[in-house]
Amino acid sequence: MASKPLVTLDHVGHSFDDGRIVALKDVSLTIEQGESVAIVGASGSGKSTLILLLCGIRVPSGGRVLWKGDPVTTPERWTDLRRSEIGIVFQEFNLFPTLTARENIEVAMFGAGVGSRERQLRADAALETVGLSERATHLPHELSGGERQRVAIARSIINNPALILADEPTGNLDSVNAASILDLLFDLKRARGATLVMVTHEPSYAQRCARELRIKDGNVYEQRPERARQEAI
Amino acid sequence: MNHLQLAFRNLKRRPARSILTALGVALAVGSFITLYGLSRSVQENVQQSFEERGTDLTVRRRGVAEPFGGTMPQSVIPEIAKIPGVSAVSGQLLSFAATDNDDHVIAFGWAADSFYWATVPLLEGRLPEPDERKVALVGKDIARTLDKHVGDNIALLGDKFRVVGITDYASIINRNAVIVGLADLQEITFRTGAVTFISVKLAHPGSADETDRVAKDIEALGQLSVTKSEGVLSNDSLIGLLSAVSTSMAWVALLMGVLMVLNTLLMAVLERTREIGILSAIGWSKQRIMGALVIEGFILSALGSAAGIAIGIAGSHLLSAIPAIGRYIAVRPTPGLIAVTALAAIVLGILGSFYPAFVATRQSPAAALERA
Repeated sequence: MASKPLVTLDHVGHSFDDGRIVALKDVSLTIEQGESVAIVGASGSGKSTLILLLCGIRVPSGGRVLWKGDPVTTPERWTDLRRSEIGIVFQEFNLFPTLTARENIEVAMFGAGVGSRERQLRADAALETVGLSERATHLPHELSGGERQRVAIARSIINNPALILADEPTGNLDSVNAASILDLLFDLKRARGATLVMVTHEPSYAQRCARELRIKDGNVYEQRPERARQEAI
Repeated sequence: MNHLQLAFRNLKRRPARSILTALGVALAVGSFITLYGLSRSVQENVQQSFEERGTDLTVRRRGVAEPFGGTMPQSVIPEIAKIPGVSAVSGQLLSFAATDNDDHVIAFGWAADSFYWATVPLLEGRLPEPDERKVALVGKDIARTLDKHVGDNIALLGDKFRVVGITDYASIINRNAVIVGLADLQEITFRTGAVTFISVKLAHPGSADETDRVAKDIEALGQLSVTKSEGVLSNDSLIGLLSAVSTSMAWVALLMGVLMVLNTLLMAVLERTREIGILSAIGWSKQRIMGALVIEGFILSALGSAAGIAIGIAGSHLLSAIPAIGRYIAVRPTPGLIAVTALAAIVLGILGSFYPAFVATRQSPAAALERA
């Protein structure tokens, strides 16, 4: 029996300002477990909105979102999923300025049933994974942009998520750091068998993903359907 | 790292504001302890002064608001003495009297046959002779303050009294009191034949039934109010007013402290909107986010309360050091009052942090993340 898609958008729409601004129109798509998906489109096309719909931070104006085949209908369920199954990487890093690199990662394990000592050990291991073992006790302002994004990535993977959502993860980085961050994301995706959904403006970065979804005028188009099918097979 | 450390880290982000808030709570707690302690101490100190004289029942003029202003005719004393169950009766006149150096003292006037004389603890000198006029016993504290010794003169309302003894009472009121003959005090206060209090010793003070009966019999003499000495002034309207005012001020101070916690946390929530959105994005539940903010409120209240206890104790000592207060009242907050006040401040601080915490969780994570 075929496994259920990790995430399904079923005729999902999203609008702002009481429906006057339509970001997404009747979007239906599935994202399989282990896939890599790039979301591309012009600024303001709704890329970030789609990412936020995939993790329940935004609520669809219409339609429904399914996680492993089950509709997710409550904010509490989305909170559970974001804690245990979904890791999010933001363009602006979104680290807590008063917490060290290690503590920024530990915060993501609060409520995950992990003890204090175990949290620290796992945070250190995550920092090692992203190559920042030596920077564990540094505050965000003491880190470079690339290092901050590595911390954010370490935080996003700390609970072994099935889905990593990256909203322009290289948007605030130079090309060298951007390439390095992308390598890290894809390495982690492969090593952990996670699904990666990434918003990007850069065609070359999108090329690294098995699928590419383009958003235009509120509609989502599959850019490389053949390759997507091949990877799925 | 745990929730407590996280809360401390957040409070350290705005150290001046956090310290000022905790200081506000501290001042509120300190004020509460001092003011509430003051109102309680008035009653306690008066009660102690009566207890030192071995009094079972205290008789006052009924319906007089001023605790020390009402007087009764001295002639009622023999009537009370006739009541079965009464073993001794003494009247005393009380006056706040001008003395040397424009100072004031509490002056007690005792009749020559009063049982009070037998209870006087003498530090030095002697008791007045029964027929001796214009002589005084001076409490050891006021003697030290006014530099009076046996053989010196002390002025009361312009009249000179010769100091024949220094008393060694324990209660603050008695340590600062001047005791003279009843007739002398009546004369210089123009209250001939009047007394302020009548103290009654019972034959069987352990018998509640007899005590109640004697009290009723005394009140039946008319216009008299009887209280057990441990409850003296407990029903006094002026003391009640003082107590109500100071208690109200104390609660207002405490509530202001709570409002400071609420305001600080509300500002923190508004400043950290985006971070609260991030917490939501990484899977923190609303309850957990609320809990984190409530912990911050707890820390501010707890630190403020701890400092407030020190301020309250120091404030009480400072009040007692003011001659106009300390001569009559030793403001001493009890451990119970301190504990209850600190606990109330912490509980109110926690309650006060719920609203900001609620505001924090009410905003949508998406809107919070969009904040710059």
